[in-house]
Amino acid sequence: MKWIGILFALMALVIGLVPQFTNCSAQGRAIQLPDGRSMPMKCHWTANATPVIAAPLLVAGILLFFSRGQEARRGLSLLGSILGFAAILLPTWLIGVCANDEMVCRLAMEPTLIFSGTVSAAAGLFGLFLARKNPAGNVD
Amino acid sequence: MDVYRFALRNISGNPFRCLVVVLCAGITAGMLLASTLILLGAGQSLSKAIHRLGADIIVVPESAAAQVESALLLGHATNAWMPAAAVGQAAVVPGVQAVSYQIHLATLKNASCCTVSNMFLMVYDPETDFVVTSWLEKNLGTGLGLGEAVGGSNVFTPAGEKNIKVYGYPITLRGNMEPTGTGLDSSLFLTLETALEIARESVIRAEAPLVIPEGSISTIMIKVRPEYDIGSVARQVAARIPAVKALAAPEMFQSQRAELEGLRNGVILLLVITTGFSLVLVGLVFSMALNERRRELGVVRAIGAPRSFVFRTLLVEAGFLGFQGGAAGSAITILALILFRRLIIATYGIPFLTPSLPMMMILIAGSLTGSLSGVLLAALIPAYRISHEDPTIAMRE
Amino acid sequence: MIVLENVTKIFPRTRTGKAVAALKEANLEIQPGAFLVITGRSGSGKTTLLNLAAGLTRPTAGKVLFHGEDWWTLPDRIRSLERARKIGFIFQFPSLLPSLTSLENVALPAFFDLSEDAREAYTRARELLCSLDLGDKLGAYPRQLSAGQQQRVVIARALLGRPELLLADEPTSDLDDQTECEIMELLKRIHENTRTTIVLVTHSTQPVRYGTQSIHMAAGQVIPGPMAGDDAVKLL
Repeated sequence: MKWIGILFALMALVIGLVPQFTNCSAQGRAIQLPDGRSMPMKCHWTANATPVIAAPLLVAGILLFFSRGQEARRGLSLLGSILGFAAILLPTWLIGVCANDEMVCRLAMEPTLIFSGTVSAAAGLFGLFLARKNPAGNVD
Repeated sequence: MDVYRFALRNISGNPFRCLVVVLCAGITAGMLLASTLILLGAGQSLSKAIHRLGADIIVVPESAAAQVESALLLGHATNAWMPAAAVGQAAVVPGVQAVSYQIHLATLKNASCCTVSNMFLMVYDPETDFVVTSWLEKNLGTGLGLGEAVGGSNVFTPAGEKNIKVYGYPITLRGNMEPTGTGLDSSLFLTLETALEIARESVIRAEAPLVIPEGSISTIMIKVRPEYDIGSVARQVAARIPAVKALAAPEMFQSQRAELEGLRNGVILLLVITTGFSLVLVGLVFSMALNERRRELGVVRAIGAPRSFVFRTLLVEAGFLGFQGGAAGSAITILALILFRRLIIATYGIPFLTPSLPMMMILIAGSLTGSLSGVLLAALIPAYRISHEDPTIAMRE
Repeated sequence: MIVLENVTKIFPRTRTGKAVAALKEANLEIQPGAFLVITGRSGSGKTTLLNLAAGLTRPTAGKVLFHGEDWWTLPDRIRSLERARKIGFIFQFPSLLPSLTSLENVALPAFFDLSEDAREAYTRARELLCSLDLGDKLGAYPRQLSAGQQQRVVIARALLGRPELLLADEPTSDLDDQTECEIMELLKRIHENTRTTIVLVTHSTQPVRYGTQSIHMAAGQVIPGPMAGDDAVKLL
């Protein structure tokens, strides 16, 4: 179980930090409006939203590392799993990223969020399985 | 309770051993799978690119031969030109069945954030073309009109718009070709008439005008008669037209093939080292873990377990861990390669196309088998030694 | 039941680097129904004699016969099966497998014999544990049991196959006096109720009074002890 907590914490750092450097705004790119103003693109808002997933995931990972009770472990694993799925949905459906395949948000940010979200979700589901109820005296 | 359940229960007793074996198996399987996928994907990509180019011989300016090959693979146009008269010179070479030309242009870089930037414009002559026209007839039923184009798999019309703006000129995207994993996926095929119209209008519409040098072309595409040898015809073409290089399709992308060969050798070496190291580490860790369990295994023998039961149990334990690690390593590798495919292409400049699903399943099975076999091999000697030891000596430890 | 004929056991290498003769030309016959207590100091060869009798270790010289058959003419698989079916072991050290519950530990020997029915094994294991006041500890792991409880689980495991022979190697050495008495009373009850042959090895003199026979060992040799009652044990 401890290793799932470590994994959650690592993925939280990836989810929270990587998008800050791999969104188009970080590369100095924005939409130029006819009146001369510039407007941030979708990937900018996606990157802004990732700490909202990363912070609770980090806390869940730390708590899971130290927790002993099966109930707490089940709850934290479920939370980690849900946050993982949220990390996948953020760039693909909830907000999105730029459509151009050559933009850094498509090349790096989106796959990183999907990858780390998938790892978190899978680890969370596995943690749920490990922390399932197992009454004493059961015969195989 | 049987050997398998017994083995499963024993696995959880030593988290350190589990972690090491699973990690080693995962890394071995992942590396094996990644290397075979990338090499196979790159090879397939090159083959598809050659097929997409459609010609038996491609004639390019001699000074820019290598650049043109890279440009085709990476989707960047070069400023390499040759006289349009070379087309007529190529047409009279014995063995030439059909000749056409292409003009390679590029869109403005960073022109707009949300349309396709850095597109590779491949201008063809519909009168003589035999590459794009056949695809159009097969997939769309008609040729391209003025202001129309066909794109590679990465080209798209921006959301909310009806056209792609090329130098400010609205182009209607009629369809997309199958992916090749190369820069050709970012290319836009349009007729000479459309290209000339774009150039004319770009003076007013675009930030910078599109300039098509008059009387110049980028490449000549040649179809060779079936009864002629492609290499021989290519040599004749190169001899007849000054300052050009004639690339026979089977020999195209030689430098990239050489790079892949080098990559493959490097990968094999890395694989051998990693696998060897993993084997040794797994063997050591297994040995250590079994030494800690000597008394326990001695008891199991004492209460009636034959040597073969203990031996099989230990191998099953190793197998479980090896399979877990191999499966996790394979899953992570596949996920990473699919997600980061474009980044790999952009960063390393190698073409890469994800192999088909059946081929991937075969490769996954291969990498799983490889990692599982490695772990079992590493665990074989410690398992044999412990299971055949005098139980009374084991219990005394 | 068990006959040792001129049995010598030499361990080729020890921590001191020298070979050790743990047993020297021992001759002993144990008949069915005996409760033999073997006493002696540490290193006198008691445990080695027990292990030889069970066919666990090969004698350097001599023969060990079980029901007239030399243990070491049998293949390992048959030897192991005979042990699983006919011999029960009680060890001095904690010998429960830490990854199995009490119930699974007790039922374990049955799974080495493919002819055994798994359900029957679990049922019998449950009965044994209940008869030893461990009915509420079926799903407990060894780390959740006291030393005395663990030893009772070991006894239950030893009795699973209704063995002809019970071999106990200093079963009470790690236990307090009261628990030691309880375990010894239990073994005595088992002997009286089932006439199972018991061979118990100990370095203390307390358990001697529970047996029907006793012998003493010193420096790898069997020394005649007080022979009371029937001559179920003979020195040959």
